[in-house]
Amino acid sequence: MATRNRTLIFRKYRDALKSVRVPTSSSPSTSSVGGVGGGGGPVIELASTSLLHPNRKYAPISTEDPGNSSKGAFTVGLPPAWVDVSEEIAANVQRARMKMVELAKAHAKALMPSFGDGKEDQRTIEGLTQEITGLLRKSEKQLKRLAAAGPSEDSNVRKNVQRSLATDLQNLSMELRKKQSTYLKRLRQQKEGQDGDDLEMNLNGGRSIIDDDNLDDMVFNEHQMAKLKKSEAFTVEREREIQQVVESVNELAQIMKDLSVLVIDQGTIVDRIDYNIQNVATTVEEGLKQLQKAERTQKRGGMVMCATVLVIMCAVMLILLILKTILF
Amino acid sequence: MVLVSAARDYVNRMLQDISGMKVLILDSQTVSIVSVVYSQSELLQKEVFLVELVDSISKSKESMSHLKAVYFLRPTLENIQHLRRQLANPRFGESHLFFSNMLKDTQIHILADSDEQEVVQQVQEYYADFVAIDPYHFTLNIPSNHIYMLPAVVDPPGLQQFCDRIVDGISTVFLALKRRPVIRYQRTSDIAKRIAQETSKLMYQQESGLFDFRRTEISPLLLIVDRRDDPVTPLLNQWTYQAMVHELIGIHDNKVDLSSTGKLPKDQQEVVLSSEQDAFFKANMYENFGDIGMSIKRMVDDFQQVAKSNQNIQTIEDMAKFVDSYPEYRKMHGNVSKHVTLVTEMSKIVGERRLMLVSEREQDLACNGGQVAAFEAVTNLLNNESVSDIDRLHLVMLYALRYEKESPVQLMQLFNKLASQSPKYKPGLVQFLLKQAGVDKRTGDLYGNRDLLNIARNMARGLKNCSKSMADSSSSCDAVVIPQPQDVVIFIVGGTTYEESRSVALQNASNSGTRFILGGSVVLNSKRFLKDLEEAQRIAKSSTNVV
Repeated sequence: MATRNRTLIFRKYRDALKSVRVPTSSSPSTSSVGGVGGGGGPVIELASTSLLHPNRKYAPISTEDPGNSSKGAFTVGLPPAWVDVSEEIAANVQRARMKMVELAKAHAKALMPSFGDGKEDQRTIEGLTQEITGLLRKSEKQLKRLAAAGPSEDSNVRKNVQRSLATDLQNLSMELRKKQSTYLKRLRQQKEGQDGDDLEMNLNGGRSIIDDDNLDDMVFNEHQMAKLKKSEAFTVEREREIQQVVESVNELAQIMKDLSVLVIDQGTIVDRIDYNIQNVATTVEEGLKQLQKAERTQKRGGMVMCATVLVIMCAVMLILLILKTILF
Repeated sequence: MVLVSAARDYVNRMLQDISGMKVLILDSQTVSIVSVVYSQSELLQKEVFLVELVDSISKSKESMSHLKAVYFLRPTLENIQHLRRQLANPRFGESHLFFSNMLKDTQIHILADSDEQEVVQQVQEYYADFVAIDPYHFTLNIPSNHIYMLPAVVDPPGLQQFCDRIVDGISTVFLALKRRPVIRYQRTSDIAKRIAQETSKLMYQQESGLFDFRRTEISPLLLIVDRRDDPVTPLLNQWTYQAMVHELIGIHDNKVDLSSTGKLPKDQQEVVLSSEQDAFFKANMYENFGDIGMSIKRMVDDFQQVAKSNQNIQTIEDMAKFVDSYPEYRKMHGNVSKHVTLVTEMSKIVGERRLMLVSEREQDLACNGGQVAAFEAVTNLLNNESVSDIDRLHLVMLYALRYEKESPVQLMQLFNKLASQSPKYKPGLVQFLLKQAGVDKRTGDLYGNRDLLNIARNMARGLKNCSKSMADSSSSCDAVVIPQPQDVVIFIVGGTTYEESRSVALQNASNSGTRFILGGSVVLNSKRFLKDLEEAQRIAKSSTNVV
């Protein structure tokens, strides 16, 4: 795929033209430019030396349109405040991603057969999951703050930043869901394996009941009590896990519902660049129309009328007062 | 994949080396070029958070110095002027300029002059000056397409502009492929000859360094043909999915505008039909209307199954599964509604305009013989009240193109009948068409073998035409048998049709060793072809009045 780089030629021309411009700007014939003419020399040098600096100050070299005096010199390199918010969210997303890697490792460890009762692993897993969900929820709340009012160019940028972060967040929460569900499935399989053994023992116990009815009554009761306790413990634990799953599902569902409004569906018309440009044009136009309408109604508005009438009346009264004191 | 992937590569390269938040500034043509190969969400992934048009961005006064500007423009006079203004009062931190075609030295000079604040970091030429609507089909979206039908004396600057745009487009296709072709053109067409000569001059003389790729394989072949050699194809009704949608509703840059077709929910008023992004469309775009109906029914059934299982949420696991699969479900839902809407709309039009009947007659006119039978059939349909004016015009045109020389009396009768019945019919349009593309003007047997690829193969084999390859500056007119090229680019001046792109795609899929690429100045349907004809007729009439 062929390309051609014209930057060198461009720079050559630019430098050549710059050196042509420097002597003319300090000539007396251009003193109509005002006080800037005198400072023309050093200003240009400043501009060239600070080429590599991220924060450059541009002073107007020429005052072609005096109406622009309000612009003055503007500093380059200071982004607006919402960029900080977006950077924070991006950092949170990155942190969440790293925690997910840790979580995956913890899951794998917990699933391995171990000699301990695995309570510590459970706790780390719970902790990590909660951390990640917390990060996602916080990011989602901050995402709402990125939305801006008013149809300006800046608001379009913000909307697009919002969309991009929303897509990242949604992907992360889906990944988390999947990891959780696979982990739980495998955990359940393991537990069921253990339960299966218990079930067998139960059956055997049952058979022995049928054989020795009276003599084994007491033994049967003890057996049954132990069994009951164990199954109770299992049920309690199961319930707790299910509770956890329900909670996390609810949370993530909420997050995803909010995000799905922001995320672009790939392949649809909303994902087309030309559609978005057209829409921007129409929303900006609409906004302009609304503003004009608002201006008109305000001008025609009763408040303005009242205010002007009152001011006129005050002036009239004042004049009458002055006349009265003069004449009398 | 060739054209689409080339354009995508260019856009990727533009964006990847620039870090930080970016704004992408395009002009009205490059918007099409980028939109068909790159999506908004992909831009967001590359940190492009604003896309603007170069003419509208001049009006805004906001300074957004935390954004870096990436300009991708065609090197036209207006764009250079816009750039001048914007470089003089820069609103963005840095500017990176990418042009879709070759810059003249004077243009670089102008830009360098206005870049007093030195915001421009690079100036590159990335040769993506064509709209890659399908992997092997590109267009140039030229608005003044009708000009190819007019003699050069009518509007010399307009014609020059037209030819320049085509030469620009074709040359960038070859730059993207990194090949320099052997050029052949249809000898009976002046405009094809002109374009071939100008392209050859560009590739072999003016910018021969740029095009010298030193490849040892067989050079590809560029064939430039004139639409008027086959005026029948744009006039026929189509029955394969993509071609049919374009004929009945209209596809522009892979978008279909359904807003004029009654009440539709807001998200279905404009839809995207792109084989790259829609797997169902990719599998069915060349299928017949009947088969599409079956495929859509199958798709709807699958979707209903999924929907039913989604409603049947009993356990917590089901809930979790639903939440997981919701985005895919939503995507599937959107896709299904899109295709169902399209097919419903087309069925409605087919019913209203009695297109089955009309199309049968059209096919007869195009293929089978029998002038008498054809005349009777066309007369019957002209008398049939339910046939629309536009279809009547098509039929008379097709009849005229075929039976121009036989029985002029009957032909006259048809003209008169048409003029009397259709109030909107511009008199003399059919005659104008015959003047442009009548039997005398066409090469080859249009009705014996209307296959574009056969014509292309004949031209490639050099059996009839002069070989104008500038590799050796002599022009030899003998029957030179050239070894089979691997790549053949066919450019139709006046526009391509989706039926032709279908044959190209099917041919490429059959892996015959030669790869065909098709391109045109626009993508025609019968409406656009007639519009071009009318416009050309109007101008021709007014110019003769003046003279």
